[in-house]
Amino acid sequence: MADDCEGLGKARQIYSDRSLRARELKAEGRRIIGYPCVYVPIEMLTALGLIPYRSCGDIREPVTEADRALPGSFCPIMRNCLDCALKSKDDFLDGVVAIHSSDPQEKTARVWQSYTDYPYFHFIDMPVTVRPEAVEYFRGQLDDLKKTLEAFSGKALTESKLEEAIESHNRQRSLVRQLHELTKPSPPLISGTELIQVVKALMSLPVAEGNDLLAEVMSEVKNRTDGPTRKGARLLTWGSTLDSIEIMQVFEANSNVVMDESCGGIRAYRAEVQNSADPLEGLASYYLKEITCARTFRQAELGESRKDYARDLQSRFGYLKGIIREWQVSGVIMLLVRYCDPFAFEMPSLKDYLDSLGVPSTYIEYDYTLGALAPLRTRVEAFLETIS
Amino acid sequence: MYYAGVDIGSTMTKVVVIDGSDDLLSVIKGPTGPEHRQLANQAMAQALEQASLQIDDIAFIVATGYGRINVPFADLQMTELSCHARGVSILFPDARTAIDIGGQDAKCMKISSGRLVNFVMNDKCAAGTGRFLEVTAAALGINLEEMGDLSLRATERVEISSLCTVFAQQEVVALLSRGEKLENIVAGIHSALAGRISTLARRLAIEPRVVLTGGGAKNTGMVEAMKEKLGCAISVPEEPLITGAIGAAVLGKEICLKTADEHGTPPAKPRRLERATFFKEEYP
Amino acid sequence: MSVDKGKKSINRLDSMRPLRAKVNETYLKSLEAIQAGKPAVWGMLNFYYGDPILKAMDIEVVYPENYGAIAAAMGVAQQYLDRADADGFPTHLCGYSLTTLGYASRMMRELDGQIPPEAPLGGMPRPLFLMSSAAVCDARYKWFQSLGRYMDAPVWTLEAPSPGVNEFFIDGNYDRMVDMGVKHLKDFVSFVEGMVGRKMDWDKLDSTANLMIEVNRVWHEVNELRKAKPCPMHSRDFWSAMPAALFLAGDLEDSLNLYRDMCREVKDRVDSHTGAIPEEKYRLVFAELPPWHSLNFFDKLAERGWNFVIESFGYRPPIPIDLSGIADPLERITRFNLQFFAGYYEDARKQNVLGGAFAYPYLKYAREWKCDGALLHPLISCRSASTHLPYVSDMLMEELQVPSLSIEGDIVDLRLFDPEDALARAEPFEETMRYYKKMREQKGLDW
Repeated sequence: MADDCEGLGKARQIYSDRSLRARELKAEGRRIIGYPCVYVPIEMLTALGLIPYRSCGDIREPVTEADRALPGSFCPIMRNCLDCALKSKDDFLDGVVAIHSSDPQEKTARVWQSYTDYPYFHFIDMPVTVRPEAVEYFRGQLDDLKKTLEAFSGKALTESKLEEAIESHNRQRSLVRQLHELTKPSPPLISGTELIQVVKALMSLPVAEGNDLLAEVMSEVKNRTDGPTRKGARLLTWGSTLDSIEIMQVFEANSNVVMDESCGGIRAYRAEVQNSADPLEGLASYYLKEITCARTFRQAELGESRKDYARDLQSRFGYLKGIIREWQVSGVIMLLVRYCDPFAFEMPSLKDYLDSLGVPSTYIEYDYTLGALAPLRTRVEAFLETIS
Repeated sequence: MYYAGVDIGSTMTKVVVIDGSDDLLSVIKGPTGPEHRQLANQAMAQALEQASLQIDDIAFIVATGYGRINVPFADLQMTELSCHARGVSILFPDARTAIDIGGQDAKCMKISSGRLVNFVMNDKCAAGTGRFLEVTAAALGINLEEMGDLSLRATERVEISSLCTVFAQQEVVALLSRGEKLENIVAGIHSALAGRISTLARRLAIEPRVVLTGGGAKNTGMVEAMKEKLGCAISVPEEPLITGAIGAAVLGKEICLKTADEHGTPPAKPRRLERATFFKEEYP
Repeated sequence: MSVDKGKKSINRLDSMRPLRAKVNETYLKSLEAIQAGKPAVWGMLNFYYGDPILKAMDIEVVYPENYGAIAAAMGVAQQYLDRADADGFPTHLCGYSLTTLGYASRMMRELDGQIPPEAPLGGMPRPLFLMSSAAVCDARYKWFQSLGRYMDAPVWTLEAPSPGVNEFFIDGNYDRMVDMGVKHLKDFVSFVEGMVGRKMDWDKLDSTANLMIEVNRVWHEVNELRKAKPCPMHSRDFWSAMPAALFLAGDLEDSLNLYRDMCREVKDRVDSHTGAIPEEKYRLVFAELPPWHSLNFFDKLAERGWNFVIESFGYRPPIPIDLSGIADPLERITRFNLQFFAGYYEDARKQNVLGGAFAYPYLKYAREWKCDGALLHPLISCRSASTHLPYVSDMLMEELQVPSLSIEGDIVDLRLFDPEDALARAEPFEETMRYYKKMREQKGLDW
């Protein structure tokens, strides 16, 4: 059995009390900056010695304060995230960097900034396409972020510091990918639940500490004898963000989740920031193009025939083909949180693509509350029964 | 060999015992009540008595329904979706679509080769379940059982526009006091519910034969309203409440036989027909 | 409290009528042209950015957002909503998008590209391409992307930058927004040229851009005149007359003359102290999208003395800006498009109102048009037209002691708006407005 202060045990511990390390560091005089979305280029924070800390909601927390400023028919995850902020659960934060990834992210950021009083707040605008002028504009936005960060931190964000930070975060991405290789065997050596705990822990620690944790986890998992039991179906979960073990446990009661394509899973780690003469350009290009979130508008190059739709699907979702094959995925659950527009529109097209690959899939809508777990359970079980 | 299916629904608990040819040896139905944990073993005991069997004579027991977690003597739990689909196929071998209208939810199931292949369900909004009929019946001061026949006597249908069960209560009372005929209002209620369930069902590309089950299937007015909204014929089993339990028993039989084929017949599992408790007990 | 039922309660502007008629005329002309073989493009409200390009190239544009409202008002939306539901689109999505997706599914999958016979007002023809816009909300561009499931037509998504209020003023940011906007628009022109097989007439674009800017300048002036007491023009006239300026409907020279006429008529009313309603007791601001299907609801409120003096930030002409020194029409168009929301940022920053582009303007409106109350209309399936409303309500009360009344509805499920219920709340709200008027006096505000 692993020591609770290491590896998976440590990830579990951090998951259940996320802010502990951030508070320790704050007491040591470090500054902590919250970010509610994985599109925020946290390398820029690391480079200035600021600690990035992912702002999340808490599925167990009933929303009460957010009602003042956000209507009920609104992304329940961001609403919950704002609610936690308004209740000062994150009172150790020195600032927040928000980004225009989706409407709820944008609206929440405005309200957040209006109703709270952090020493630092910056909103990054982000275009919706991946065209060259869009990437250029986004690079300009990152340059603006650099200016305000420098003013706040009192330090210069030099190219060499940034390159160092990029290398560190890239190493983390690589380690996470390596960790996911360990879900290829049958049964996988690490469960979806454990991976959520690990990823959340990474998003609560400075990057170097996260990398150390990953090394521990990797060696523990490779040598473990107490791994998940084989459960029949091997699932891919797809959705916006999946950061609660309560939800993952519903899936894993009767299946092995071998890949979680969400912002609580592999999404922020699948690709790497490329080396570039202009590191800000490298960041802009990575974040805008490589994060496979439904909010970004991608379209295949103009074709000439009615097969355009299939080509379009391939260009948007083709990266899943390799994953499905290599991880021997036998079913896909498209998990949609209520009121999420980008993923809701994306979903029928993704289903078309998965149908074309012959992979069974189902769409399950849920609410970000504990009450949503029972209906979720029935639907997951029924889906598993149809593919068994 | 004998097999049993236990379906613990939110309102009714159903138990059936079948033999190897899927013939029903006993059927027990009773209200679930808050202590469904206790009732499961009682219902099972009654079913055994009716079939003149002992608990050890049953080779495999599958539990289903909302209370399926609390059947300690079951060998396996399966969702009511799979069980209804299987049960409907036993009763109607050419069934491709099953729609179950329950007191607290509505389920639509797509069936292929006798098995569930796809489903949609509504368990969020009461206005799309049997509850809609219950609540409006109470508001109009009539018995739920009378609703179906009443609706069939309508001369025209009054449209119910409220989307919410709670507001619909007010609306039907207002219609009545405005002089609308009771049977016309009741027809409108059935039509509104059928409309919502049909919209749900259409997500599955409906194919005949369509079979209606659950409490809603016992309501002739509901059956007619569904026929109209779906635009096709609808079959109703003689006993619409037990399709889940039948399916559970048959699925249990199939799993049991498959396991025996592959691994040889397992030794008889000692089973105690006891109340569920929160304390784990060690079997010898 | 007797009301003279014989009298018309809102005194509509004469000059509104030809502008309102223009919308129908343009629509029918467009339909004729399309039936005669002209290519059609499905477009989306893009705030003066993509429309001038298509107009200069004489391309017919059909607006599914508007068609969604028509289908809803004519009671035919449900079949398309049901179809979209059956096709797997979750039901919480924008009602207009579901209506159009259901329509596209029916047209393309059932009728092999033919316009559905049951579609009201001639329906929408199969498009050559789709022009969507990232402005305002996610649903708008994801929706047009989803249409690609049914139609073999490419989608161009027009970018729409939206920085934060403080971030807008970072050195160089605005220039970069213009830079991207111009490059993007240039690429869009090439794309359109490729699709229609014709080159852009740059002189025509130049004059189209100028006309568009001038039309909106005059239209802006008309609305400034509504600050007068009593207010000479009601929101109903705004909504009827706006399409020519917002969507560039019809001939722009003609529109310019019509808005000039309107300006004259409104000036005359100001001079003669003629209000849009017989007795202006309360001045109201309306946010955001009106209940198109129940506009006579405002007539009932007018009978109670409610004059709606300003409305709907999302439809308003930009604050005028002098672009005469800009030679490149693409740049003029880009700057004008950015001006739509950027025009407010300076004030917003001074007032420290950070609630986003749609929020600050209402503070300005309530103050400058001297409003006694705000009528807010949240729509259950249109989140982008509704999420700012709680913030607006909070802001108006805190800063100006102006109260808000919120009445729910939906863009396609018209049953959700209950005019009777809404009117029942009018009387108590009048008391509220009277009370806060006293509060404002105490605070030293002059209305």
